[in-house]
Amino acid sequence: MIRFVAIRVARACLTILLVVTFAFVVLRLSGDPALLIMSPDAPAEAIAAFRHAYGLDRPIWQQYLHYFGAIMHGDLGQSMRDGRPALSLVAERIPATLVLTVTALVLKVGIGIPAGIFAALHRRGWIDRAVMALATAGFTVPSFVLGLVLVLVFSVQLRWLPSGGQESWRSVILPVITLGAGGAAILARFTRSAMLEVLGQPYIRAASAKGLPWGAVVRRHALPNAAIPTVTIVGFMVGSLIAGAVVVESVFSWPGVGRLLVIAVSNRDLAVVQTILLLVASTMVMSNLVVDLLYGVLDPRLRAVHK
Amino acid sequence: MLAMLWLAGILLMALLADVLRPYSITAFDLKNRLAPPLGFGGVGAHPLGTDELGRDVLSRLIVSVRVSLLIAFGATTISAVLGTTLGFLAAHFRGWVEQAVLMLIDFQAALPFLIVALAVLAFFGNSLPLFVCLMGLYGWERHARIARGLAIAAGGQGYAASVRQLGAGAWRVYMGHVLPNIASTLIVSATLSFPEVILLESGLSFLGLGVQPPLTSLGNMVGYAREYLQRAPWILLSPSVVIVLTTFCVGVVGDWLRDRLDPTLE
Repeated sequence: MIRFVAIRVARACLTILLVVTFAFVVLRLSGDPALLIMSPDAPAEAIAAFRHAYGLDRPIWQQYLHYFGAIMHGDLGQSMRDGRPALSLVAERIPATLVLTVTALVLKVGIGIPAGIFAALHRRGWIDRAVMALATAGFTVPSFVLGLVLVLVFSVQLRWLPSGGQESWRSVILPVITLGAGGAAILARFTRSAMLEVLGQPYIRAASAKGLPWGAVVRRHALPNAAIPTVTIVGFMVGSLIAGAVVVESVFSWPGVGRLLVIAVSNRDLAVVQTILLLVASTMVMSNLVVDLLYGVLDPRLRAVHK
Repeated sequence: MLAMLWLAGILLMALLADVLRPYSITAFDLKNRLAPPLGFGGVGAHPLGTDELGRDVLSRLIVSVRVSLLIAFGATTISAVLGTTLGFLAAHFRGWVEQAVLMLIDFQAALPFLIVALAVLAFFGNSLPLFVCLMGLYGWERHARIARGLAIAAGGQGYAASVRQLGAGAWRVYMGHVLPNIASTLIVSATLSFPEVILLESGLSFLGLGVQPPLTSLGNMVGYAREYLQRAPWILLSPSVVIVLTTFCVGVVGDWLRDRLDPTLE
């Protein structure tokens, strides 16, 4: 068990290391920072002084180590726009994003999983067809189209809900529905196919053959086994809590991390982009790690292999 | 069947865009600005209405379809070729090459692609060729995984071994014999990632970070329509309908192909 955990943790660290390296390489490839910040006709001594001050005249591996050290100390550079530390700029946007994404996650799990289970249990019935049709629709309608259509109907035509901003709790409704619909559709599809797969297994037939009521078979034998693939998808959704709302935040002018990212990208504010990249990568890797460890709990077979 | 018809129509529209479009996408008709579509009080000259500069929505839609499809085709091809090559390399050399490829796959899977794409656009700026290549990175890891698995399996089968025994080089074995045998699976997986590329492209263009004006794409049109949501909702609706129907139909056809060609793929 300890070996199992250790391997997973090591792999997670390796992936983060890879992401940091990626950010470093891309940052260096994108041009000489000295020429980017100083004017092209600056005197050669000034450019040399700048390079020296930022350590750009040292060998590349020393620069890499220095860069790595700075990141470990939480120093991710300053935003080029207002000179504030990129990390705090990003950090103050996180709560707003989480309000949207966490609520949407609750919606996804609360609707998607029961809908998938229900559809699987009533396979080929009209409920199944209806759920699947809705799920396919939710899957193919891009979030910006759904968001704008919702705005068109509920804000422009009916004037029930605000089309954007962050004034009251009512402005949360439309973005959360937009975010939640797609995710719920994905979850419903996955849960349904996982359930169908499990329901076809011999142990389900054995359980009902020994006289267990159907409800008990589903609860005790089918659901726990179907949970394994579903947990993967939910884990992925948890991992994208911070950056999962880039498009939706833009549609509803929500002041979160996603909007900051879009603004930073169009201004080429590299420090901010890089901070968000690293933040997203680490949350993603963390949640993958948790999912991997959860597998060990959910699926005793995996534990046995690694003992 | 309907899905096929729609796709054929869209494809034809993209191919014949220059013939079909009634106006140039940058032609202004200042007298008919923000004209509603035909049937909602619009004029016959602009069946789908115009935007605030009097540009014909139908013409822009037709050209957008071409741009979006071009990007999606280009990107899917690049990603399939790249993924298959890396998958074959991993299967052929095993050892550290395979480990490196697997690690790249892990890396790609650890990051939401949208974020990576945004980061690259931030660092390198934007141009159409770069944008297509960037989209081409989408989904390569899926092709690589499939190609590697299938190539390893094929290597263990009689036909690959006998061709090798006959003295064929690695290139010949993979390109001439393994590839045709696993092509159907790869084509299906490419079909399934095609609509995702369309959605991704339109999402980025919607954010104003994809296809840049004066060129137009479906996402671009939607993003632009947002400014005129109250006064001219038709600018929003027509590209949205095209995006949704197209991705839906490609999905349906992809599912159908999968069931026909390769029941083993999930």
